[in-house]
Order: sequence, then C-alpha cells, then structure tokens
Amino acid sequence: MRKYFLSAPLIIFFCIMLVFFYFLIIERDPSELPSALINQKAPTFKTTTLFDNKPFIFEEESGQQVVIVNFFATWCIPCREEHPYISKLSKEENIAVIGVNYKDNPQKAIQWLNELGNPYSKVAVDSNGRIGLDWGVYGLPETFILSENNIIIYKQVGPITNEKYDDFIMHIKDGIK
Amino acid sequence: MIQKKFLFNKIFFLFLMITLAGATVSNNSYAVEPEEFLKDPKQELRARDISKNVRCLVCQNQSIDESSAPLAKDLRMVIRNKITEGLTDKEIYKFLTDRYGDFILLNPPLKASTMILWALPFVLFFIALFVIYRHNKNSKLR
Repeated sequence: MRKYFLSAPLIIFFCIMLVFFYFLIIERDPSELPSALINQKAPTFKTTTLFDNKPFIFEEESGQQVVIVNFFATWCIPCREEHPYISKLSKEENIAVIGVNYKDNPQKAIQWLNELGNPYSKVAVDSNGRIGLDWGVYGLPETFILSENNIIIYKQVGPITNEKYDDFIMHIKDGIK
Repeated sequence: MIQKKFLFNKIFFLFLMITLAGATVSNNSYAVEPEEFLKDPKQELRARDISKNVRCLVCQNQSIDESSAPLAKDLRMVIRNKITEGLTDKEIYKFLTDRYGDFILLNPPLKASTMILWALPFVLFFIALFVIYRHNKNSKLR
C-alpha cells in the first residue's frame, strides 16, 4: 500500500506526458482557432463596393440563399493561391460569393481582380479592418459559409486548397438543406 | 596585478548593469504607440490593463499590449474607442469574446468546461502533500 502511494506522482507524471504526447501526434494546427461565431447570426455591416464605390448593405446581399463571404487582400499571398478555388466556387449553383477586401489599397485590389478574374458577385471594402474585427477575422484568407437564414455555419481559416475544396463543398450542402 | 583585478571588477560590474538594464527594458517593451494614447490618463490606464489581458491572435502567446501585429493594434484601438464610448470593462471583454471566443483572454475564465484546469493544481498539491505525509510517517516508524 505504501509503495503504491509513493508511485502515485510518477503515475500522474506519465499520464500528463501521455496527454502531451497525444497533442503532439494528432494532426492539429495550433494556429487554427475555434470560431465563436459558428451557429450565430452573421454580423451586419454597411460599407461601399470596391468597383463602383456604391453603398454596400450586407442585409440586402444575404439571407435569400447560401452566401460565401471571403475576406481577401492583395498583400495576402495565400489569397492568390486560393483564388482559383474561389473562382471554382462561384460557378457552383445556388450560392453567391461575396468578397471583402480587407485593409487593402482599392486600386491594387481592382488591378488584382482584373488580372486574375473577379469571382465575386460583389466586393465590399473594409479599409480599416473593422468589419473583419466584427467577424472575428485574425488571419487572411478567411471564408465563411452562411445558411439561407443568415447563420454562420462554417468558417475556413487559411486558403481553400485542392485538398480542402471537397470538404468545403460538403459544408455548403449542409447549408442548403 | 592590482590594476588587473580592478579592471575585472569593472567589467563584471558593466555586464551586471547591462543584464539588469536588459531585464527592465524587456519588461517594459510595450507596442503601444504614442498616437494611440487616450487623453484621459485614467482611461488610458484602463485600456492598458485590459490590453494586458487580451491575447494577440496572430502571435498567440503575446498580449496585444506587447504585440506590434496590425491586428493587435486594431484591437487596442477598439478597446480605447469602447472606453471613450463609456463601456465598462466587463462589456468590453464581452465584446471581444463574442467575436473571438474565450481564447482571446489570456486568463481562461472559470467555467464548467475549464473547472479541471483550475482545480487540477490544487488536487495535485494535496495528493503530493498526502504522499509526503505518508512517506514521513512510515520512515519515522522504522
């Protein structure tokens, strides 16, 4: 009995080691954070559009169908990498893809989209990052899926890549149901 | 010979001063820029206190008070705006956690899901105490 108690700290130590080891071996990206906004109503905002500088009122653009909101910027290198997949997404049926140009130079953004093609139905301008802050954005690109009743059902931090594309489409289908 | 020893002492003293200076400087390396300061020193102090408890989500183990990441700066500005708008500290923390979750707080809040985190050190401490007590008692008997 005495020996058993003496070995208790050692056993606890090994348990803690096991937990650490578990977190080491599971495939996990520590920079990826759980979003506080999942299953919440999408934050609304008012701003202007990138191309024609007209008022952009978020409520008018969302809520009728599944909407994808993609935060991007020309200074963000993974955004360029992601661009072909956003274009591919925009060709899917029954969804609208809205771009939010985050803390960017509008001239550069227009040039960027003219060069690579514009996959967005509308591009909203977030010049000082306040919209991004309301949406809990911390690292570009970030892409949100909004259901038909304007609830955020999924958030992808980092670029949508070839490997992640099918998974992303699955999440969109959840929203259409 | 005496001179040499004296020189050594001097060099030692210099290194000591540099180390100490380094230690104090690193403790005061804030990223807050002068133009961010609020006019009211009381409000500024509140902003600094909140900033020290808020995690920079880009660098993750730094508070926004220490981080010079653009997002940290935005968060500092928002906190200052909210203070001038007259929000309480609690309301400001709520504003932040509503958007970024509890992860944005450097101190995890005491909740049912974090209970184990807060209780475990005390549990381990009492287990250790018990083990030491048993061990001592048994060795005295011997």
